[in-house]
Amino acid sequence: MTSPAHRAPAPMTNRPEPAGLADVLERVLDKGMVIAGDIRINLLDIELLTIKIRLLIASVDKAREMGIDWWEHDPTLSVAERDVAAENRQLRTRIAELERQATGSGQLDSAPEREETRE
Amino acid sequence: MSEASLTYVYGLTRAAAPLPEEPGVDDRPLRMLRLGALGAVVSDVPAAEFAEDALRGHFEDLGWLERVARRHDAVVQACHRAGVAMPLRLATIYVDDVSAEQRLAEIAADVERTLDRLDGCDEWGVKFFDSPASQSPSAPPEPTPSTSGADYLRRRQAEMMRSGEAAASAAVRADSVYRALAKHAVADTRHRPQDPKLAGRREPMLLNAAFLVRRADTHTFRAAAAELAGHHLEEAIVLTGPWAPYSFAGTTG
Repeated sequence: MTSPAHRAPAPMTNRPEPAGLADVLERVLDKGMVIAGDIRINLLDIELLTIKIRLLIASVDKAREMGIDWWEHDPTLSVAERDVAAENRQLRTRIAELERQATGSGQLDSAPEREETRE
Repeated sequence: MSEASLTYVYGLTRAAAPLPEEPGVDDRPLRMLRLGALGAVVSDVPAAEFAEDALRGHFEDLGWLERVARRHDAVVQACHRAGVAMPLRLATIYVDDVSAEQRLAEIAADVERTLDRLDGCDEWGVKFFDSPASQSPSAPPEPTPSTSGADYLRRRQAEMMRSGEAAASAAVRADSVYRALAKHAVADTRHRPQDPKLAGRREPMLLNAAFLVRRADTHTFRAAAAELAGHHLEEAIVLTGPWAPYSFAGTTG
Protein backbone atom coordinates (compact mmCIF):
# COMPACT_ATOMS: atom_id res chain seq x y z
CA MET A 1 0.00 0.00 0.00
CA THR A 2 1.35 3.39 -0.83
CA SER A 3 -0.22 5.96 1.36
CA PRO A 4 0.22 9.57 0.36
CA ALA A 5 3.54 10.55 1.85
CA HIS A 6 3.79 13.99 3.34
CA ARG A 7 7.51 14.03 2.90
CA ALA A 8 10.14 12.43 0.82
CA PRO A 9 10.24 8.71 1.37
CA ALA A 10 12.19 8.37 4.56
CA PRO A 11 14.63 5.51 5.16
CA MET A 12 12.04 3.98 7.41
CA THR A 13 9.19 1.68 6.71
CA ASN A 14 5.64 2.67 7.12
CA ARG A 15 5.00 -0.56 5.36
CA PRO A 16 4.84 -3.30 7.95
CA GLU A 17 7.67 -5.78 7.78
CA PRO A 18 6.95 -9.48 7.51
CA ALA A 19 7.01 -11.06 10.93
CA GLY A 20 10.47 -12.32 11.73
CA LEU A 21 10.95 -15.37 13.86
CA ALA A 22 12.17 -13.22 16.72
CA ASP A 23 8.96 -11.19 16.71
CA VAL A 24 6.81 -14.29 16.49
CA LEU A 25 8.62 -16.04 19.33
CA GLU A 26 8.56 -12.90 21.44
CA ARG A 27 4.80 -12.84 21.12
CA VAL A 28 3.82 -16.48 21.33
CA LEU A 29 6.19 -17.28 24.17
CA ASP A 30 6.23 -14.10 26.14
CA LYS A 31 2.90 -12.42 25.43
CA GLY A 32 -0.49 -13.94 24.91
CA MET A 33 -2.80 -14.94 27.66
CA VAL A 34 -1.55 -17.48 30.15
CA ILE A 35 -4.06 -20.09 31.26
CA ALA A 36 -2.92 -23.04 33.30
CA GLY A 37 -3.02 -26.09 31.10
CA ASP A 38 -2.88 -29.75 32.05
CA ILE A 39 0.53 -30.01 30.48
CA ARG A 40 2.76 -27.84 32.57
CA ILE A 41 5.11 -25.69 30.64
CA ASN A 42 5.44 -23.16 33.36
CA LEU A 43 7.22 -19.88 33.17
CA LEU A 44 10.35 -21.31 34.63
CA ASP A 45 10.58 -23.66 31.70
CA ILE A 46 10.24 -20.78 29.32
CA GLU A 47 12.94 -18.90 31.16
CA LEU A 48 15.21 -21.88 30.97
CA LEU A 49 14.28 -22.26 27.36
CA THR A 50 15.57 -18.83 26.51
CA ILE A 51 18.88 -19.72 28.08
CA LYS A 52 18.98 -23.02 26.25
CA ILE A 53 18.22 -21.45 22.91
CA ARG A 54 21.04 -19.06 23.49
CA LEU A 55 23.37 -21.94 24.15
CA LEU A 56 22.06 -23.75 21.11
CA ILE A 57 22.79 -20.86 18.86
CA ALA A 58 26.38 -20.65 19.77
CA SER A 59 27.32 -17.93 17.34
CA VAL A 60 26.02 -14.42 17.37
CA ASP A 61 26.08 -14.39 13.58
CA LYS A 62 23.80 -17.37 13.40
CA ALA A 63 21.40 -15.77 15.84
CA ARG A 64 21.44 -12.53 13.91
CA GLU A 65 20.81 -14.39 10.69
CA MET A 66 17.72 -15.84 12.28
CA GLY A 67 16.74 -12.53 13.80
CA ILE A 68 16.71 -13.95 17.26
CA ASP A 69 17.56 -11.61 20.06
CA TRP A 70 14.56 -11.19 22.21
CA TRP A 71 15.85 -13.14 25.20
CA GLU A 72 18.57 -10.59 25.69
CA HIS A 73 16.17 -8.33 27.49
CA ASP A 74 13.45 -10.79 28.28
CA PRO A 75 11.89 -9.56 31.50
CA THR A 76 11.12 -13.11 32.53
CA LEU A 77 14.80 -13.76 32.28
CA SER A 78 15.61 -11.17 34.87
CA VAL A 79 13.11 -12.83 37.14
CA ALA A 80 14.94 -16.03 36.47
CA GLU A 81 18.18 -14.42 37.46
CA ARG A 82 16.81 -13.90 40.90
CA ASP A 83 16.18 -17.59 41.18
CA VAL A 84 19.40 -18.47 39.54
CA ALA A 85 20.84 -19.99 42.67
CA ALA A 86 17.90 -22.33 43.01
CA GLU A 87 18.10 -23.25 39.33
CA ASN A 88 21.79 -23.88 39.60
CA ARG A 89 21.17 -26.22 42.45
CA GLN A 90 18.54 -28.07 40.42
CA LEU A 91 20.78 -28.28 37.41
CA ARG A 92 23.72 -29.48 39.46
CA THR A 93 21.60 -32.21 40.97
CA ARG A 94 20.48 -33.20 37.53
CA ILE A 95 24.01 -33.25 36.17
CA ALA A 96 25.16 -35.35 39.11
CA GLU A 97 22.33 -37.74 38.37
CA LEU A 98 23.29 -38.00 34.72
CA GLU A 99 26.93 -38.47 35.56
CA ARG A 100 26.03 -41.24 37.97
CA GLN A 101 24.02 -42.90 35.23
CA ALA A 102 26.79 -42.45 32.71
CA THR A 103 29.46 -43.92 34.93
CA GLY A 104 27.09 -46.46 36.37
CA SER A 105 28.15 -49.16 33.95
CA GLY A 106 31.87 -48.89 34.61
CA GLN A 107 32.58 -49.24 38.33
CA LEU A 108 33.98 -46.25 40.02
CA ASP A 109 37.01 -47.92 41.68
CA SER A 110 39.49 -46.04 39.62
CA ALA A 111 37.47 -42.91 39.04
CA PRO A 112 39.75 -40.00 39.70
CA GLU A 113 37.12 -37.55 40.88
CA ARG A 114 36.36 -38.04 44.50
CA GLU A 115 34.37 -34.98 45.46
CA GLU A 116 31.22 -37.02 45.75
CA THR A 117 32.63 -39.27 48.44
CA ARG A 118 33.54 -36.44 50.73
CA GLU A 119 30.01 -36.24 52.10
CA MET B 1 -5.26 -47.89 23.95
CA SER B 2 -5.97 -45.90 20.82
CA GLU B 3 -3.40 -43.40 19.68
CA ALA B 4 -3.56 -40.87 22.47
CA SER B 5 -4.07 -37.23 21.68
CA LEU B 6 -4.25 -34.04 23.69
CA THR B 7 -6.27 -30.86 23.17
CA TYR B 8 -4.19 -27.87 22.11
CA VAL B 9 -5.87 -24.47 22.53
CA TYR B 10 -4.71 -21.68 20.20
CA GLY B 11 -6.95 -18.85 21.19
CA LEU B 12 -10.34 -17.81 22.46
CA THR B 13 -13.00 -16.17 20.40
CA ARG B 14 -16.74 -15.84 20.17
CA ALA B 15 -18.66 -19.06 19.65
CA ALA B 16 -20.42 -17.47 16.69
CA ALA B 17 -17.18 -16.65 14.87
CA PRO B 18 -16.38 -18.76 11.81
CA LEU B 19 -13.66 -21.34 12.21
CA PRO B 20 -10.76 -20.34 9.96
CA GLU B 21 -9.71 -22.72 7.22
CA GLU B 22 -6.22 -23.02 8.48
CA PRO B 23 -4.49 -26.26 9.41
CA GLY B 24 -3.46 -26.66 13.02
CA VAL B 25 -0.17 -27.94 14.35
CA ASP B 26 0.95 -31.06 12.49
CA ASP B 27 -1.78 -30.41 9.90
CA ARG B 28 -4.52 -31.46 12.30
CA PRO B 29 -7.87 -29.82 11.51
CA LEU B 30 -9.07 -27.04 13.77
CA ARG B 31 -12.16 -27.48 15.90
CA MET B 32 -14.22 -25.07 17.95
CA LEU B 33 -15.22 -25.86 21.52
CA ARG B 34 -18.24 -23.83 22.50
CA LEU B 35 -18.94 -22.72 26.06
CA GLY B 36 -21.99 -20.53 25.82
CA ALA B 37 -20.94 -17.41 23.96
CA LEU B 38 -17.28 -18.26 24.20
CA GLY B 39 -15.41 -20.30 21.61
CA ALA B 40 -12.05 -22.00 21.99
CA VAL B 41 -10.15 -22.83 18.81
CA VAL B 42 -8.41 -26.13 19.34
CA SER B 43 -6.93 -29.10 17.54
CA ASP B 44 -5.83 -32.54 18.59
CA VAL B 45 -2.12 -33.01 18.96
CA PRO B 46 -0.38 -36.34 19.45
CA ALA B 47 0.33 -37.05 23.11
CA ALA B 48 3.63 -38.63 22.16
CA GLU B 49 4.81 -35.26 20.86
CA PHE B 50 3.14 -32.88 23.30
CA ALA B 51 3.24 -34.61 26.67
CA GLU B 52 5.29 -32.89 29.31
CA ASP B 53 8.56 -34.75 28.86
CA ALA B 54 8.44 -34.74 25.09
CA LEU B 55 7.58 -31.08 25.04
CA ARG B 56 10.49 -30.19 27.24
CA GLY B 57 12.81 -31.82 24.76
CA HIS B 58 11.13 -30.24 21.74
CA PHE B 59 11.40 -26.81 23.23
CA GLU B 60 15.14 -27.09 22.89
CA ASP B 61 14.86 -27.96 19.24
CA LEU B 62 14.75 -24.66 17.43
CA GLY B 63 13.42 -26.19 14.22
CA TRP B 64 10.50 -27.75 16.07
CA LEU B 65 9.90 -24.59 18.04
CA GLU B 66 9.83 -22.42 14.94
CA ARG B 67 7.43 -24.75 13.17
CA VAL B 68 4.99 -24.87 16.07
CA ALA B 69 5.34 -21.18 16.90
CA ARG B 70 4.63 -20.13 13.33
CA ARG B 71 1.64 -22.48 13.07
CA HIS B 72 0.31 -21.26 16.40
CA ASP B 73 0.67 -17.67 15.21
CA ALA B 74 -0.92 -18.42 11.83
CA VAL B 75 -3.98 -19.94 13.52
CA VAL B 76 -4.26 -17.11 16.02
CA GLN B 77 -3.95 -14.49 13.28
CA ALA B 78 -6.55 -16.25 11.14
CA CYS B 79 -8.96 -16.36 14.11
CA HIS B 80 -8.27 -12.71 14.70
CA ARG B 81 -9.10 -11.86 11.10
CA ALA B 82 -12.30 -13.94 11.28
CA GLY B 83 -13.51 -12.16 14.40
CA VAL B 84 -12.05 -10.96 17.66
CA ALA B 85 -9.57 -13.45 19.10
CA MET B 86 -7.55 -13.62 22.23
CA PRO B 87 -4.21 -15.35 21.67
CA LEU B 88 -3.08 -17.87 24.23
CA ARG B 89 0.50 -18.53 25.13
CA LEU B 90 2.20 -21.22 23.04
CA ALA B 91 1.50 -24.79 24.16
CA THR B 92 -1.63 -24.36 26.27
CA ILE B 93 -2.61 -28.02 26.36
CA TYR B 94 -5.26 -30.14 28.07
CA VAL B 95 -5.62 -33.89 28.36
CA ASP B 96 -8.96 -33.73 26.53
CA ASP B 97 -11.79 -31.41 25.47
CA VAL B 98 -13.65 -31.90 28.74
CA SER B 99 -10.69 -30.74 30.78
CA ALA B 100 -10.21 -27.71 28.53
CA GLU B 101 -13.87 -26.80 28.77
CA GLN B 102 -13.82 -27.07 32.54
CA ARG B 103 -10.85 -24.73 32.84
CA LEU B 104 -12.20 -22.25 30.31
CA ALA B 105 -15.63 -22.17 31.95
CA GLU B 106 -13.96 -20.80 35.10
CA ILE B 107 -12.62 -17.78 33.27
CA ALA B 108 -15.34 -17.33 30.65
CA ALA B 109 -16.76 -14.13 32.13
CA ASP B 110 -13.34 -12.47 32.27
CA VAL B 111 -12.51 -13.58 28.77
CA GLU B 112 -15.73 -12.23 27.34
CA ARG B 113 -15.04 -8.82 28.87
CA THR B 114 -11.57 -8.86 27.37
CA LEU B 115 -12.95 -9.86 23.97
CA ASP B 116 -15.31 -6.88 24.11
CA ARG B 117 -12.34 -4.64 24.81
CA LEU B 118 -10.28 -6.09 21.96
CA ASP B 119 -13.09 -6.22 19.42
CA GLY B 120 -12.37 -4.32 16.22
CA CYS B 121 -8.76 -3.63 17.16
CA ASP B 122 -5.38 -4.78 15.89
CA GLU B 123 -2.03 -4.77 17.58
CA TRP B 124 0.80 -2.88 15.90
CA GLY B 125 4.42 -3.16 16.88
CA VAL B 126 6.68 -0.14 16.67
CA LYS B 127 10.41 -0.26 17.09
CA PHE B 128 12.44 2.88 17.18
CA PHE B 129 16.16 2.63 16.51
CA ASP B 130 18.65 5.32 17.40
CA SER B 131 20.59 7.01 14.64
CA PRO B 132 23.85 5.40 13.58
CA ALA B 133 25.56 8.70 14.30
CA SER B 134 24.73 8.49 17.97
CA GLN B 135 26.83 5.36 18.04
CA SER B 136 30.06 7.19 17.51
CA PRO B 137 30.04 9.51 20.50
CA SER B 138 31.64 12.76 19.49
CA ALA B 139 34.31 12.18 22.07
CA PRO B 140 37.27 14.11 20.73
CA PRO B 141 40.40 12.03 20.66
CA GLU B 142 42.60 13.28 23.45
CA PRO B 143 46.08 12.14 22.76
CA THR B 144 47.66 14.44 25.30
CA PRO B 145 48.02 12.70 28.60
CA SER B 146 46.41 14.33 31.58
CA THR B 147 48.58 16.89 33.13
CA SER B 148 47.14 16.37 36.54
CA GLY B 149 44.76 14.13 38.38
CA ALA B 150 42.34 17.01 38.71
CA ASP B 151 42.34 17.57 34.94
CA TYR B 152 41.70 13.94 34.39
CA LEU B 153 38.79 13.93 36.79
CA ARG B 154 37.29 17.03 35.22
CA ARG B 155 37.54 15.49 31.80
CA ARG B 156 36.05 12.19 32.98
CA GLN B 157 33.18 14.10 34.52
CA ALA B 158 32.53 15.95 31.29
CA GLU B 159 32.58 12.72 29.35
CA MET B 160 30.16 11.11 31.71
CA MET B 161 27.85 14.08 31.51
CA ARG B 162 27.92 13.95 27.74
CA SER B 163 27.02 10.26 27.62
CA GLY B 164 24.43 10.82 30.32
CA GLU B 165 22.89 13.60 28.28
CA ALA B 166 22.92 11.46 25.15
CA ALA B 167 21.14 8.66 26.98
CA ALA B 168 18.64 11.11 28.42
CA SER B 169 17.90 12.64 25.04
CA ALA B 170 17.49 9.18 23.52
CA ALA B 171 15.00 8.34 26.25
CA VAL B 172 13.17 11.60 25.62
CA ARG B 173 12.95 10.91 21.88
CA ALA B 174 11.69 7.39 22.52
CA ASP B 175 9.11 8.74 24.95
CA SER B 176 7.92 11.32 22.49
CA VAL B 177 7.50 8.75 19.72
CA TYR B 178 5.65 6.50 22.11
CA ARG B 179 3.36 9.22 23.39
CA ALA B 180 2.63 10.55 19.91
CA LEU B 181 1.49 7.15 18.70
CA ALA B 182 -0.38 6.31 21.88
CA LYS B 183 -2.75 9.16 21.07
CA HIS B 184 -4.09 7.08 18.21
CA ALA B 185 -4.33 3.85 20.18
CA VAL B 186 -6.88 2.39 22.56
CA ALA B 187 -4.13 0.87 24.68
CA ASP B 188 -0.37 0.77 24.58
CA THR B 189 2.48 -1.01 26.22
CA ARG B 190 6.25 -0.96 26.10
CA HIS B 191 8.27 -4.14 25.90
CA ARG B 192 11.92 -4.31 26.76
CA PRO B 193 14.02 -3.20 23.80
CA GLN B 194 15.74 -6.02 21.98
CA ASP B 195 19.49 -6.18 22.15
CA PRO B 196 21.30 -4.22 19.43
CA LYS B 197 24.16 -6.71 19.20
CA LEU B 198 21.81 -9.36 17.92
CA ALA B 199 19.07 -7.25 16.36
CA GLY B 200 20.96 -7.16 13.10
CA ARG B 201 21.59 -3.44 13.33
CA ARG B 202 24.18 -1.62 15.27
CA GLU B 203 21.96 1.17 16.51
CA PRO B 204 20.36 0.56 19.87
CA MET B 205 16.63 -0.01 19.97
CA LEU B 206 15.21 2.85 21.97
CA LEU B 207 11.64 1.69 21.89
CA ASN B 208 9.90 -1.65 21.47
CA ALA B 209 6.24 -0.80 21.85
CA ALA B 210 2.89 -2.34 21.05
CA PHE B 211 -0.30 -0.41 20.37
CA LEU B 212 -3.87 -1.57 20.30
CA VAL B 213 -5.43 0.35 17.44
CA ARG B 214 -9.04 0.46 16.35
CA ARG B 215 -9.29 -0.77 12.80
CA ALA B 216 -11.07 2.43 11.84
CA ASP B 217 -8.01 4.35 13.08
CA THR B 218 -5.44 2.25 11.25
CA HIS B 219 -4.87 4.84 8.59
CA THR B 220 -4.44 7.65 11.12
CA PHE B 221 -2.08 5.56 13.19
CA ARG B 222 0.09 4.67 10.24
CA ALA B 223 0.07 8.22 8.97
CA ALA B 224 1.23 9.34 12.41
CA ALA B 225 4.04 6.79 12.25
CA ALA B 226 5.02 8.07 8.83
CA GLU B 227 5.00 11.65 10.04
CA LEU B 228 7.19 10.75 13.02
CA ALA B 229 9.57 9.01 10.69
CA GLY B 230 9.71 12.24 8.71
CA HIS B 231 10.76 14.05 11.86
CA HIS B 232 13.34 11.46 12.73
CA LEU B 233 15.23 11.04 9.51
CA GLU B 234 18.37 9.95 11.31
CA GLU B 235 16.66 7.23 13.25
CA ALA B 236 14.56 4.35 12.02
CA ILE B 237 10.99 3.53 12.88
CA VAL B 238 9.96 -0.03 12.11
CA LEU B 239 6.33 -0.97 12.06
CA THR B 240 5.09 -4.56 12.37
CA GLY B 241 1.54 -5.76 12.16
CA PRO B 242 -1.33 -6.05 12.17
CA TRP B 243 -0.95 -8.61 14.93
CA ALA B 244 -3.59 -10.41 16.90
CA PRO B 245 -3.69 -8.59 20.25
CA TYR B 246 -0.95 -10.67 21.92
CA SER B 247 0.29 -7.87 24.09
CA PHE B 248 -3.15 -6.92 25.35
CA ALA B 249 -4.66 -10.31 26.06
CA GLY B 250 -3.90 -10.55 29.76
CA THR B 251 -6.98 -11.32 31.82
CA THR B 252 -7.07 -7.99 33.48
CA GLY B 253 -10.52 -7.14 34.67
